[in-house]
Amino acid sequence: MTDLIQLLINGLAIGSVYALAAIGFVIVYSATGVVNFAAGQFVMFGTFAGVAMLLNAQLPWPVGYGAALLAMALFGALFFVVLYLPLRASPVVTIIIGTVAIGITMQNAALLAFGSWPFRLPSPVESVNLTIAGATISGHAVAVVIVTALMVALLWLLFFRTSLGIGMRAVAQDIKAARLMGLKVNRLLALSWILAALLAGIAGLMLGPMWFADTSMGDPIALKAFAATIIGGFGSLPGAIVGGLFVGLSEVLGASYVSSAYKDLISFGIMILFLLVRPQGVFGERIQDRG
Amino acid sequence: MKMTRQEFLKALLAATAMPWVAAARAEQGSPIVVGATVPMTGPLSLTGKQYHNSLMMAEEDINKAGGINGRSLKIVFEDTQASNSTAVNAFVKLAQENKPSLFFLSSYSTQNLAVEPELKKIQVPAFYAGGADVVAEAGNEWMFRVRPADSVSAEGMVQCALNVLKAKKPGILYIQNDFGQGGARTAVERFGAAGVTVAGMGAYGQNDKDFSAQLLGLRGKDIDVLLIFNYPQDGALVLRQAKMLGLKMPLVTSSAALVPAALQLLSPADLDGVWGVVDTFIDPSVGGRMQDFVERFKAKFGTDPDPYGLAYYDGAMLAAEGLRKVGTDPKALRDWFATVKGWQGIGHLYSYDAKGNGVFDLAVVKSKAGTKSLELVQTIKLN
Repeated sequence: MTDLIQLLINGLAIGSVYALAAIGFVIVYSATGVVNFAAGQFVMFGTFAGVAMLLNAQLPWPVGYGAALLAMALFGALFFVVLYLPLRASPVVTIIIGTVAIGITMQNAALLAFGSWPFRLPSPVESVNLTIAGATISGHAVAVVIVTALMVALLWLLFFRTSLGIGMRAVAQDIKAARLMGLKVNRLLALSWILAALLAGIAGLMLGPMWFADTSMGDPIALKAFAATIIGGFGSLPGAIVGGLFVGLSEVLGASYVSSAYKDLISFGIMILFLLVRPQGVFGERIQDRG
Repeated sequence: MKMTRQEFLKALLAATAMPWVAAARAEQGSPIVVGATVPMTGPLSLTGKQYHNSLMMAEEDINKAGGINGRSLKIVFEDTQASNSTAVNAFVKLAQENKPSLFFLSSYSTQNLAVEPELKKIQVPAFYAGGADVVAEAGNEWMFRVRPADSVSAEGMVQCALNVLKAKKPGILYIQNDFGQGGARTAVERFGAAGVTVAGMGAYGQNDKDFSAQLLGLRGKDIDVLLIFNYPQDGALVLRQAKMLGLKMPLVTSSAALVPAALQLLSPADLDGVWGVVDTFIDPSVGGRMQDFVERFKAKFGTDPDPYGLAYYDGAMLAAEGLRKVGTDPKALRDWFATVKGWQGIGHLYSYDAKGNGVFDLAVVKSKAGTKSLELVQTIKLN
C-alpha cells in the first residue's frame, strides 16, 4: 500500500507535466490546426529559462519563476511572429514542417548556449518530504499536482468566464466567422501561442527538479504529450488532462507491476490501440467532424 | 665540362637518394600523429570532455618534455557523439586521413565494439576505456584497456557490499546495456559464490528519467544493500530519486555516478548513505604526481579531473614511453604494450594480460557527512 501511494503520486506528478504539455499542444491545434512538433522543445526551453533565471542570474525563486515565465511568453509571441504569421497562408503541413525545423533549431540553440552538461534545477520545496500512511512523498511531486490543478482551473475560468477566452474558443471553432464578428483574430491566435508557451514553461519549471535540465529532454516529453493527446482526444482540453495523467500513471504503474522494460511500450501500445479502435480518443471529436 | 664515370655514378646516386633523404628528414621533423575518437558533443560528452581535456594536457606535457625522441606528438580528435555509427565514421576518417601510429577510443563499450572490426583491419594499437568484458573477449590483440573491466568493478562492488556493509539480502539495479547487464551478471555470480542470494533485480533504459517503480520494487523485496550499475547522468538521478522516495538502505554505486560531472548534480543530502566503488580515488592530498595532475588540470580546465580523464592521461604517458622505446611501427608498439607489467601510472598500476586488460585495482569511497567530498574507505586489488 505504501508503495502504491508513492507510485500514484509520482505517476500523477509526471502525468501533470505531460498534461500541461498536451494542453499547450491542443490549444495551438484547436486555434490554428497546426500540430506543434516543437512542443517538447517548448518544455525544454521552459526548464532552461528556469536555469538561466534561478541558477545563472541567481534570482530569488519567485522573481526567477516570474522572469522565466515572462521569457516564455515573449518566446511564444516571437514564435507566432517569426513562424506562424509568415506561413499562415501556406498549407498547414508547411507550418508543421516549420515547427519541426524550429524544434531542431531550439535544441541546438540550447546546446550552444548551455552546453551538453545537465543542470540541477532546484525546487522551492525541495527539502519538504511528507509522510502519508507510511509513504514518503516528495513535496515537489505534491506541488506539481497542485499547481497543475490550479492551472486547469485558471484555464477553465479563462475559456468559459472571460471574453478573451470565449473569443479564443470562437476562433478555434470558426476563424472566418470570428473575423466577421469583429474579433481581432490575429491577436487571439498570438495569444494561443503565448498560452501554449506559458504552459510549456510551467511544465518545464516543474519538470526540471524531477529530471535534470538537459537539452535532450524535449523529445520524450513531446512523444508522451502526443500520446496523451491521442488518448484523450485531439482538440479536447479535458482529453489532454486525462490523457496526460493516464500516460504518467500507466508509465509508473506499468513499470512497477508489469515490467520496467515495457513501460514505454505500454503507453504507446495504448495510444496505438486508441488509434485503431477509437481514433477520436476519450473526449475528442472524430477527425471527419472537424471543419 | 667533362665528367668522369666515377663522378657520374656519384651524381646519379645522389639524385636517386635525394627524395629518400628528404622524406626521412621531413619525417624526422614531422609530428607523430595519434588519433582520438571522443564523444565531445551530446549526452556522452559528460565524460568525453574529461578525456578530451586530459589527452590535450598529456600532449602538451609530452611535447614540453622533449616529445618522442625529438619529434613532437600530435593528437588529432574526432567526435563520436553518442552514436556507434558516428564513432565508426570518426575512426575511419582518422585512419584514412591522418594515418595515426596509435589510437585512443572512447570510454563507451558499445562504441568500442562498433570500432573493433575496423581496428582489426588497419592493425594499429589502441587504448580504450569501455568497461564491458565482451570487448576484451572479442580477442582483438590491438586493443588495450586503461581502466578496470566491468567484471573487475562488479567484483569490487560485491566485495564492498559483503565485506564493508555486511550485506545479507542485496539488490541490484542496472542500466540496460552491455555495461549494466554484464556488471549485474557478474555481481550475481560473485554473490552466489559467496553464498549470498540476490533478493531482487531491476533494470532501466538509458534514456529513462523516472526510476521510482524500480526503486520501490526493490525496497519491497526488503533488500539491505542496493548495488547500482549506472552512467553519470542516470546514476545521479537514481541517487536523487532514491533519496526522494525515502530509501534507507546503503547504496553502492559504480564509478560513473561519483565523477565530478555527476556530483555537481547532487546535493550532500543525496549522497548520504551512498558508497562508491570507483576506478581511482583522486586525492590531491597524497601529493606527488597526483597532486600535480589534479592542480594543473583544474587550473587549465576549471573543473576537477575524474578517473576517466586520469586513465586516458596515464594511457597517453604509457603510449609515449612505448613510442620512445620502439618507435612508430604498429606491430612493435603493440608487442611492447602487451609486455607491460607493473607500469606505474598516476591512477593505477598497469600490467597487461593476454586479453589487453591492464587495470585490476579499485577504490571504495564514501562522502564525508554533510558534504560532497569523498573519502577513501579502502582500496581493492583483484587478481
